[in-house]
Order: sequence, then structure tokens, then C-alpha cells
Amino acid sequence: MPAANHWIVTGNFTDDGAVAWRRADGTWSRAIAEAGLLADEASAKAIAARAVAAEQREICDPYGIEVFAEGTTIDPLTARQRIRANGPTTPIRRPDSGISR
Amino acid sequence: MYQYDDYDRRIIIERAQQFRGQVARRLSGEITEEEFKPLRLQNGLYMQLHAYMLRVAIPYGLLSSKQVRKLAHIARTYDKGYAHLTTRQNIQYNWPRLANVPVILDELASVEMHAVQTSGNCVRNITSDHFAGIARDEIEDPRPYCEILRQWSTFHPEFAHLPRKFKIAVTAAPGEDRAAVRFHDIGLRMVENAQGERGFEVLVGGGLGRTPVIAEVVRDFLPKRHMLSYIESILRVYNLAGRRDNKHKARIKILVTALGVEEFRRRVEEDWEKSRTPALELPDAEVARVSAFFAPPPYENIAADPDRLISLGLGRDRDLGNWVKNNVFPHKVPGYSAVVISVKKPGIPPGDVSDTQLDAIADIADRFSFGHTVVTHTQNLVLPDVKTSELPRLHAELRALDLGEANVGKLTDVITCPGLDYCDLANARSIPLSLEIAERFDRIDYLNDVGDVSIKISGCINACGHHHVGNIGILGIDKRGEEFYQLMLGGSPGNDASIGKILGRALAQNEIVDAVEKVLGRYLEIRDSIDERFLDTVRRVGFDPFKEAVYGSADPLEAAGGD
Repeated sequence: MPAANHWIVTGNFTDDGAVAWRRADGTWSRAIAEAGLLADEASAKAIAARAVAAEQREICDPYGIEVFAEGTTIDPLTARQRIRANGPTTPIRRPDSGISR
Repeated sequence: MYQYDDYDRRIIIERAQQFRGQVARRLSGEITEEEFKPLRLQNGLYMQLHAYMLRVAIPYGLLSSKQVRKLAHIARTYDKGYAHLTTRQNIQYNWPRLANVPVILDELASVEMHAVQTSGNCVRNITSDHFAGIARDEIEDPRPYCEILRQWSTFHPEFAHLPRKFKIAVTAAPGEDRAAVRFHDIGLRMVENAQGERGFEVLVGGGLGRTPVIAEVVRDFLPKRHMLSYIESILRVYNLAGRRDNKHKARIKILVTALGVEEFRRRVEEDWEKSRTPALELPDAEVARVSAFFAPPPYENIAADPDRLISLGLGRDRDLGNWVKNNVFPHKVPGYSAVVISVKKPGIPPGDVSDTQLDAIADIADRFSFGHTVVTHTQNLVLPDVKTSELPRLHAELRALDLGEANVGKLTDVITCPGLDYCDLANARSIPLSLEIAERFDRIDYLNDVGDVSIKISGCINACGHHHVGNIGILGIDKRGEEFYQLMLGGSPGNDASIGKILGRALAQNEIVDAVEKVLGRYLEIRDSIDERFLDTVRRVGFDPFKEAVYGSADPLEAAGGD
């Protein structure tokens, strides 16, 4: 795919709050690379609005974001969305201090 | 510590049962996220960037070892092996699944804990001095009053839908404010009047966030028996007159500022004269009943030996000596000390405690401190009642747990909000800065040379990291989707309360810790003696030397850089 800016739709899964990305077929993925690309903000808004009504059991608060896409890579344009896509940038679990449980 | 009675137990169990039904309806799709959100927030459950977050209330920060073990169990079983200490003496779990939250609430209820009123526009966790009950400088243990306030505020029907959240802090140490009472919606300072009677100085309208305000004194002296009725009047005036049209203008500080403290006081006093009834007066018997839960533990009769701490501090074991100097605090009972366990170690997010550490801390609390632990608003833990003679053994055990950092009150004891790594509100990350600071300045001689200085980092203007009251404050901002940071100097949360001011233009992430180092370097050059604290130097010389150090110019326009 030629490099260009697109829009995608994101939200959080109801079950565990994990970041969700909407595929082109209307299902939801945990990987941003699987997100369905949309041409413009209006398309993303329309899909998000439909998802709020029709997919609310699975997904919380869907909305559209702008991304840069090239080949199979999708990169968000803001620090917030990059962190949502990739997870916290700091250690998630403290290293075990060596004490047996 | 306080033990639940049947009423406490019943309302917490009932609330957990209600929430189980609400979660089931959300998971089935019977209710939408929009409908569910206010219900989950009333039970301390937020949606953050990557997951739900459950905030658990710890009234005035006090935990039994049984509760600490339960928190470890929850971290291990339902989360990713750790809990996070917050800046209001609570803990948070960052990764619970929604279906598990009712089970977690059941687990918490089994040890007299809950997550009620840790979110939403209601009275939040009552906080206090982390040395409450043991401080040499307090005139009375404030915890019974905190507990009475907790009981009064829990599910109080009149104050369940305030214009905005409401935070109350209590201290009984007039000489040193360790609870930041001047930055709470209501701060209560226990004082003695000219007749030697004890009561509260009542401060109202303090807060941080986008409009930092130092609280005003609304009443110089309130007899203790009127504590509840007077606070009800404050809340009633706020509930009726506080703004509800704009959440950024809804805190009581905005109302107090808009009315002026004299008019606010007049309204409160007028309401109080009309509304106070004997039913709201605190009976001596009830205060005595609650106070009995906070009776001193069975201390041994140990002769005072003030030289002991000095000799430990100067001994051959330098790690122990530094830890004793920085992490051990005076206790009102001879032969005992208060120990602050630093949860600020390089490489580990500040305030994160693993399940294994929590279990070990519970064991240590049982063996060294009558089974008690206290969470501080600075994201550390206190063992309140340690025999001074046992400090070397305790230090060795803590060091084996990676909890032996000797940095309390020093440069690397940074207060840090979760920031953009976790928080849905944040504009910028906080934890990576804190980790960089911890790594760069992790030299005990440098820490001791720089002395007492606080760094506080918030990832957005909501100020959960208390940046306004850091001697050095760092505020994360968003500039066209990228992270930048404002550097502030001169804040203090204590009796000498002050709000920090921005030094100059915002800095990029790769500039901000360098800027902190330059500020500290200039301080070391210009302090008038090694006894002059960083904050005192800033107050004495102003900002120009620090602007020059960071920006190469003291010119405010140049330093501001058009930001």
C-alpha cells in the first residue's frame, strides 16, 4: 500500500479493557496492524457511531483516529495512540525479588 | 485499628453484590457502557488506556498485615503481580478483567476493605499524617476523627452527588503538615486554643489541578464535638452554590475564590447556626469508643537512648547508616522508631509493589511493627512501631527485598502519577522521567549533598503527581500530539505552603532531566551553606539564576520562548 494518512476506528474491549482496533470486516482485533483503513474522518465517525449502538456489548467508547499507513504497517500520529497501540513503555511487573511464594 | 461492626460489614457486602449484578448486565450487553460508567465509577473502577483500573480505598493509609496479604493475593491472582501506591494513600490495580472485579470486591470485603467512593463526585478517602498516632509533634491521634469522618461520609445520601469530587485531610501535628491539608477541599488541623482546649482549625478550598489554590482558614477554632455538623454546613453550601455547568470550575476552591472567603464563611456559619442539632454533636462516649480501636500497641518499656540512632547513622555499615539517617523518623515512645520503606528504586515504577514484596512486608510488619503498615501520599510505606534496636536487622531484610533504598525525602523519592503509560487523561508520560531521574542521580553522596528536595511529576494538568507543590515540579503537556514538559520551581505542600511557578518554555522529553540537573547544579553553586535547603535558596534568590542555568538567559521573554 502506498504511504498515506488514513483513519481507523478504535475502542476498548468490554471484557478486559484492552485496546481494540476495528477490522474491515467489522470484527475487532487487539493488533493495530489488523485495523481496517478508512479514507477520511467522516467515514471513521460514521462507523464509530454505528459501533456505539450495534457493538456496545463487545466494545466501549469507539472513536476514529488518524494514522499513517505504509505496506502492512500502521502508525498512529500521536504519542497517546502509539502507547495505546504498543502498551506501557515502562516495566509492567516488578522483577521478582527472589522470595519464593 | 478500626474493626468493622455488623453495619459496616453488611453495607460493603451488599454493595459488592449489587455490583456483581451490574457487571453481569454489562457483560451480557443488557446495559451500555454509557449506562455502566457511573455505576462502575461509584465502585472505583476506571477505564484506562490499556485496561480497567480498580482503586481500593485505604482509610488514612492504615493497613493490617492481614489486609496487606490480601492485597498481595489479589495482585497475584487477578492482576499482573503488583499493586500501585497512589498519592492519596490508596492502592490501584492496573489490569483487572471486568468479570473478576466482583470477586475482587468480595475478597476485599473479607478483610474489611472496599473500593467505594474512590471515584465520582463524592467525599473520597479521608487522608492523614502517615505518622498519625506515633508522631512526637502531634497533640492527639487524629485517626479516630478520620474514622468518624469515614463512617459519616460513606454512602451519605445528601453528599452522594456533589458538583465535583471532595477530598478531606486531617492532621494533629501543628508544627509539621505531613498531610498537605492546605491542598485539600477541607483540611482539618488540630490545635489548642488559649484555654488549652483542643479543636480544629478548619481550612477550605485548597486544591491542585488546573487551578492550584492554597486553602483559606474558614474557622480558627472548632470544638471537636462540632466536627461533623460544621463539615456538613460546608458541604451544604458547596452542594447548593458550587458550579455544575463546567467540571473545570466545579471544585469548592472555585466557589470560595468566587465568593471570597468572608462571604463563604458567612454562608457556612449561617447554615451551621440553623442546621446544627444535638444529633450531629459527637458524644464523648462515641469518640472514646472509636479511639479505643487506636489504642497504643503493647510497647515494651525501653529506656530512652538518643545516642543509639546517632551511632547507627555513623557506623561502619554505610548503607545502614544512610538508611537510618534518611528513612528512620522519631517516635513518641522511647526505644521505638518509625521507618519509611522507600518504594522508589531505580528501574522500577515509583509506588509499584509486587505481590511477593507485599507478602514479605506483611510478615515484616507482624515481626517488627505490631502488624501495621501505613501507605504515605508520597507513594511509600511506613512501619510505624519498630524497636530502634532492631533497625539493623530490619534494614537487612528490606534490602533483600529490594526495599532498602535510603532516599526518603531526597531527590530520587519522586512522586509520580501513572501518566500517559496508563492514564486516559494524561498528556505525557511521567514514569519514564521518574525512572531517568532515579537512574541519573542514584548516588547516595550526591543525594545527601543535595539534601531535602522534592520532585513531583504529573502527566497532565489534573496534577495527580502534585507537581504544583514540588520544590521541583514537572508537568507533562501535549504539543501537537507530542510530549513536552514544563519545569516549575518553588512549591511546597506543608506549613510553608507555596505553589510552584513555571521557569520558562516547555522542554522536550530528552531535555527535561538535563534541565533538572542544571537546576540542581546551580543550587549547589549558590546556596549560602550546606544547611540551606533547595526551596530556601529558590525563595532567597528567585528564578533568574535557574533560568540562566537551564535556558542560558534570565530574560523571561527569551526563556518563555513563545510557548
